[in-house]
Amino acid sequence: MVDTSVSFMSSLCMGIIEEQVLIPYPAMAAEQKETLHGVIDSVKQLLGPRAEDFRKWDRAGEMPAAFVEELKQFGLFGLVIPEEFGGMGFKSASYARTLQEIAKYDASVAVTVGAHSSIGMRGLLLFGTPEQKQRYLPKLATGEMIAAFALTEAGAGSDAAALKTRAERDGDGWVLTGNKLWITNGGIADFFTVFARTGELEGKPHITAFIVTRDMPGVSVGTHEDKMGLRASSTTTVHFDGVRVPAENVLGEENKGFKVAMAILNNGRTGLGGGAIGAMKKLIEHSTKYANERKTFGKSIREYGMIKLKVGQMVVDCYATEAAVEMVAALIDGGYEDYAVEAAISKVFASEALWHTADEALQIAGGNGYMCEYPYERMIRDARINRIFEGTNEILRLFIALTAMNDVGSQLKELSSSMRGLFDDPIKGFGVLRQYALKHASLVTGIPRARSRFTLVSPELHEATTVFEELTRHLAAAVDRILRKHGRNIIGKQLASRRLANIMIDLFVLACVISRVNASLAALGAEKAAKEVDILKVFSGQVERRVKHAFGLIDINDDELIKGLADHAFDAEKFSWDNV
Amino acid sequence: MKILVALKRVADPANHNKVKIPAAGDKIDTAGLEWQINPFDLYALETALRLTEDGKAPKTRLGEVVAVTLGPAETETNLRSALATGADRAIRVDTTDDALDGRLVAAALQKLVEEEKPDLVLMGKQVVDGENNYVGQALAELLDWPMATFAATIKEEAGGLLVGREVDGGVSTLRVKFPAVVTVDLRIVAPDSVRSSKTAEGFKYPYEEVRFAPLPAIMQAKKKPLAVKKLADLVGGATLSSKYVKFEAPPARKAGVKVKDVQELVQKLATEAKAI
Ligand SMILES: Cc1cc2nc3c(=O)[nH]c(=O)nc-3n(C[C@H](O)[C@H](O)[C@H](O)COP(=O)(O)OP(=O)(O)OC[C@H]3O[C@@H](n4cnc5c(N)ncnc54)[C@H](O)[C@@H]3O)c2cc1C
Ligand SMILES: Cc1cc2nc3c(=O)[nH]c(=O)nc-3n(C[C@H](O)[C@H](O)[C@H](O)COP(=O)(O)OP(=O)(O)OC[C@H]3O[C@@H](n4cnc5c(N)ncnc54)[C@H](O)[C@@H]3O)c2cc1C
Repeated sequence: MVDTSVSFMSSLCMGIIEEQVLIPYPAMAAEQKETLHGVIDSVKQLLGPRAEDFRKWDRAGEMPAAFVEELKQFGLFGLVIPEEFGGMGFKSASYARTLQEIAKYDASVAVTVGAHSSIGMRGLLLFGTPEQKQRYLPKLATGEMIAAFALTEAGAGSDAAALKTRAERDGDGWVLTGNKLWITNGGIADFFTVFARTGELEGKPHITAFIVTRDMPGVSVGTHEDKMGLRASSTTTVHFDGVRVPAENVLGEENKGFKVAMAILNNGRTGLGGGAIGAMKKLIEHSTKYANERKTFGKSIREYGMIKLKVGQMVVDCYATEAAVEMVAALIDGGYEDYAVEAAISKVFASEALWHTADEALQIAGGNGYMCEYPYERMIRDARINRIFEGTNEILRLFIALTAMNDVGSQLKELSSSMRGLFDDPIKGFGVLRQYALKHASLVTGIPRARSRFTLVSPELHEATTVFEELTRHLAAAVDRILRKHGRNIIGKQLASRRLANIMIDLFVLACVISRVNASLAALGAEKAAKEVDILKVFSGQVERRVKHAFGLIDINDDELIKGLADHAFDAEKFSWDNV
Repeated sequence: MKILVALKRVADPANHNKVKIPAAGDKIDTAGLEWQINPFDLYALETALRLTEDGKAPKTRLGEVVAVTLGPAETETNLRSALATGADRAIRVDTTDDALDGRLVAAALQKLVEEEKPDLVLMGKQVVDGENNYVGQALAELLDWPMATFAATIKEEAGGLLVGREVDGGVSTLRVKFPAVVTVDLRIVAPDSVRSSKTAEGFKYPYEEVRFAPLPAIMQAKKKPLAVKKLADLVGGATLSSKYVKFEAPPARKAGVKVKDVQELVQKLATEAKAI
């Protein structure tokens, strides 16, 4: 039996390669594939002919209500809702694949469906009581109710704990007052998962999640925001003015709203990842067609090395992103308890790979890329948000690195009790990492050798697995070294954390790519899997160079200098040198 | 009304360049091909659905549509897709393409029709892979049923159909009595081409071409019955009457030449192309 309490990345930071978590690469059952074929086909027929509309709605900054109605009729709001409540019952893998398809046609549609399924109603799915589910899921499945996730406020984005919306007890219910900002689906939602302050303890706020519906007196929404991208999707403020919420609408445990919020974001991650993959695949289609047709200097630009480099990298990045997202989906669907770091990694990697792909795709199209008549400028505008919402990539990098260091630290028996629970509140938790590093004995030496090697991977991939094993030993040593070097001050050493996070991101994604290529090799044989083996060669080479470079910077770097330059600029609030 | 619709999967015509023939020329290598239902067969399915509903309330089914295919287990995907689109039941006859020719397909369908006793068999006018344009006519002959081919319009009447067929120089209209075999052409999916007895005169379907399954229907289709039959149980020991001797790719087209005037054109057509 698989041990679902294992966290691949947490073990990796201690030098242990828990290969059975990632190998074999997740495969879909025949029936699931058949369903997805049907879904892909239908989505194509629904959205394929609307390209001109999507362009128009991006310009207009809104999609018509009649089209949202079509999406409902089509069943797009029931993807992750169990069949018994009238939904499709998709788990993360099928859900991510479906969002991938939608995102090939339009990012605004993908995010409308995604905000509903990934975050809007996911709290109900994960924490709802049977009564709450019975009451809302059937309506959410048909789209009669559309869901939104309302956490952010003007003063509380990354620092979600600073939220000011309050819920006061009132008899057997609650009264909610406060304002939420930039809520996706705000203008079309009937069901809100709302986070509000319900007290505090030792200066730390207690937060509780509530189900609030649009028909409750005192709920109102602002106008549609004028945005850079995702322009046709609804983003609004949401206001709660003395809204009476019955006690039975508390979602999850009272005062455990943070846990609810984090669980929702973690569990819904593959939606964003899937969307990014869809956009990347579309961009690769556009770029390859364009490069095949465009001629300069008497040759098609596909002939040029610098264009090949861009497209080759797009292919590698897309393959790697898909491997990571599918793997995270499999961890979630496989019942793993602890996949938050892996999920965060997939979000950071996917959003950055998409950004890079969109930028290069535009570049390949030259001046045309810059023209609104072509798809690139819209896709780049739509892509940009992914690095900001559902946790900014900066915050997620801190989360990835600090969770690892926390896990490594808490392995030491004498400290494990004091560490437990600190990261239930990951964002605020950064402030409370204890002084353990100095007592920290070297972890690297005590690890049984066998568990620092891949044994389930084909010898044909020996080169990549050797690289991975070597980098893993470095990683364990690096965590150790960073903890020793900075101790409790690690919280303030963001550039050290960032470096570690980047290493972890690269290693997790590389492990996923190894697993994926290994599976293809087994299924297709060396000849037919040759290009995938090449993808692995390229990617593992890139990871090796990046990671070794980052290791080198742990001890010797310009961190303090560059931060000094920033401080100088902050103080002046301008660039300080002028030659005239 | 009970309608039997025959479907065949074909290699996606947009991917025809992936069709490979091994040097031995003994078969077509189908590995890596993407499959879909023959477009004309999809039109036949759409026609069947239109004939078993009131156009303005298509969710209420007013008849029975049975989708049939002959092929390996993978073709059940295509049948499920037909079920999701609206067919009520499906039957797969287990076999492979290379074990079939038009006569065997028609013979197997004849047997199924005798078992199922539909009022109407709807088929595409031809498949886009073999382009044979054969099975519909052969089936009608075997059953000794009335037949209308290349239907562009169909109106249901008492006890039969009024079928408009596009022919060179105009439209020929046939009145067929049930039970009958009808093969359909591209035009049949225009918004007002098909009218059941329940659909109001003048009603136009709000889409061109064929309907597609909303997502919940894909899940419901899993619960619809799909029966599997053995080819031998339908056609006994009947064997192929056409034999594949050798497969080869069509010769690559030669580059064209430019001619300077009509005279040269006529001369080349006569002497080089030997076309006149
Ligand atoms: C189109 C759109 C849709 C959205 N949809 C929703 C939604 O449906 N529901 C919802 O609740 N919210 C939503 N949001 C809000 C989104 O989640 C926040 O914008 C995001 O969390 C960042 O918060 P912020 O904008 O306040 O940035 P800030 O938190 O002010 O961050 C500003 C910058 O500082 C960095 N930063 C902040 N703290 C740290 C730190 N400790 N260390 C290092 N760097 C730091 C950030 O990474 C960022 O680069 C949406 C936003 C947009 C633009
Ligand atoms: C907003 C805007 C303003 C402009 N203003 C002016 C102006 O005022 N005057 C003017 O004359 N022009 C102007 N231009 C045109 C601009 O200079 C061209 O778009 C630019 O030179 C690129 O040419 P192209 O768009 O035809 O791209 P292409 O030449 O088609 O290039 C497409 C891609 O292929 C790459 N590529 C091409 N050849 C090679 C090669 N041999 N090896 C490797 N890679 C190659 C390019 O780098 C690019 O990535 C403007 C363009 C824009 C978008």
